[in-house]
Amino acid sequence: MNATSKRVVTFLWTVLWASLALHSPSIAQTSRGADIAVVVNADTPVAELSLSEVRKVLLGERQYWNSKLPVVLLIRAPAARERDVVLRVIYQMSESQFKQYWVAKIFRAEAASPPRIVYSNDMQYELLTAMPGAIAFVDSRNMRPGVKVLRVDGHMPGDKDYPLR
Amino acid sequence: MRRRLPVLVMMLFTAGAAGAQSSPPLDQAEQVRILLERVQQLEKRVAELETRQPVAPPPSEAATNVPTAPKPAMAEAAPPSAPAERHQHESAETQATVRQMESRYPSLQIRGFGDVDFSATDQKGTTSGFNLGQLDLHLASALSRKVTYFGELTFNAQPTGYTVEVERSIIRYDYNDYFKLSFGRYHTPIGYWNTAFHHGAWLQTTISRPDMIRIGGSFIPVHFVGFLAEGNIPSGGAGLSYNFGVGNGRGSIISRPGDAGDNNNNRAWVANLYSRPVKLYGLQLGISLYRDKITLPVVTATGNQFREWISAAHIVWAKENPEFLAEFANVNHKNILTSATTNNQAYYVQIGYRLPWFEKTLKPYYRFEHTHTPLSEQVFTNQDLVGSILGLRYDITNYASFKSEYRNTRRLPTEPRVNGAFFQTDFTF
Repeated sequence: MNATSKRVVTFLWTVLWASLALHSPSIAQTSRGADIAVVVNADTPVAELSLSEVRKVLLGERQYWNSKLPVVLLIRAPAARERDVVLRVIYQMSESQFKQYWVAKIFRAEAASPPRIVYSNDMQYELLTAMPGAIAFVDSRNMRPGVKVLRVDGHMPGDKDYPLR
Repeated sequence: MRRRLPVLVMMLFTAGAAGAQSSPPLDQAEQVRILLERVQQLEKRVAELETRQPVAPPPSEAATNVPTAPKPAMAEAAPPSAPAERHQHESAETQATVRQMESRYPSLQIRGFGDVDFSATDQKGTTSGFNLGQLDLHLASALSRKVTYFGELTFNAQPTGYTVEVERSIIRYDYNDYFKLSFGRYHTPIGYWNTAFHHGAWLQTTISRPDMIRIGGSFIPVHFVGFLAEGNIPSGGAGLSYNFGVGNGRGSIISRPGDAGDNNNNRAWVANLYSRPVKLYGLQLGISLYRDKITLPVVTATGNQFREWISAAHIVWAKENPEFLAEFANVNHKNILTSATTNNQAYYVQIGYRLPWFEKTLKPYYRFEHTHTPLSEQVFTNQDLVGSILGLRYDITNYASFKSEYRNTRRLPTEPRVNGAFFQTDFTF
């Protein structure tokens, strides 16, 4: 095998490995389908919201559960499926539109800070239990005790007509 | 070649194994799904254990508490205490992160906006060239759970240097969603644009604001010093909200709001009511009223005091496929001495559309605007305008854009039309 042949073989293997890597389905792609539960701190005085009310909360148009309890928005970091569903179904925005929306929202003095970004389910649950008024969006297969799951449009995660999936 | 042969053999072997694993993509997807389910089961089990035992057990005990569920091969190979230690470590890290994310006061956030422009027109007496747009700093700081400060400063290029302007300085107390009270210097809540885009050019689709609310213009009082109450109105699907404010109104220079004090004993008031219907997410409809008494610095034979009524309406589709903005305002001036009345009207209609190609970075837009001031107008100098803008916005990144515009405008019927090309790059940082 001369040097040219070796380079060709090496090149072909590189291409093969690259294509294998590129065509491997990612975890995010394969985990589609589960409902996304709307979860709040257990002391939050709400048990049910309509989808439009959830949207108002996420858009920062509703900032208080009551006059003593502000809403604390928790949203998963980019690439998490929970965030994809929230952006697609509730915000109806792309990732960049979502970022621009919150820059503009704060600039208009309509909110003091954007939603808090959480990087894992553990962190999400810690914040949900530690922060009164916290609301988060959790894959319904990863539910844990100690928090309250809200009905959305009268449906719980797993129901046929549940809107967040 | 001898040295490379084992490497090639190894690559062949591993590639063959990988190929065997990945040749049917469905199998791989199934494997990933099974692994995900396994991870979720384990996460659930850890959560259950955590709730049963508030104090973390010794690693060996934790290992023995795990039921007889099948364990992954990797876990069997690891020392028995490693997963528990790792979990404890991760839990400590998470708790530290949670502590960091808890609210602290004051919590100052600063954001900046800037733009650089180029313009060239065929208007006689003008020159083409670059200019530095406004450098805009926005400050937001929560002082407590219910008290927040917002500020906005601009640095403006002038022939002899820069001027600094306090555009907004607001302290706000939130009682709840229905009542928020603030004091300071605002952008007057008349119409839509003035409170939606403020001074950051990056926030708006176009290069410039409509003429009726241009910075330094006088048609609409762009700024307002006083207090403002705002909030939502319980209205079900109508999604009503309001602003109501009382302040100094126009100053002696009518484009300015009398920051250092009113020039008469009459306070201006503004009321703004708008609806964001629940069923039509993206739609906003609104009406505004503004009442003031204007005292001009120069007294003429007909006096220098005028009553001003501004009535305005807007309809906006705030999405991008398409984006639609339309505003109308009527400014009524009544001379207190002679009762002579004039009405000035202005409106604009703007439409844009975010194209689905090139990763949705392109947004062409068009705006038509018209301003009319009658010859008998006593407060304004002539502000007549008929103009069209055709442009393209290209979002370079999430936080910077490039815009190019062609403008065709005419101020007075006797004057020729002016054609111009305008370019801008704007950003937030």
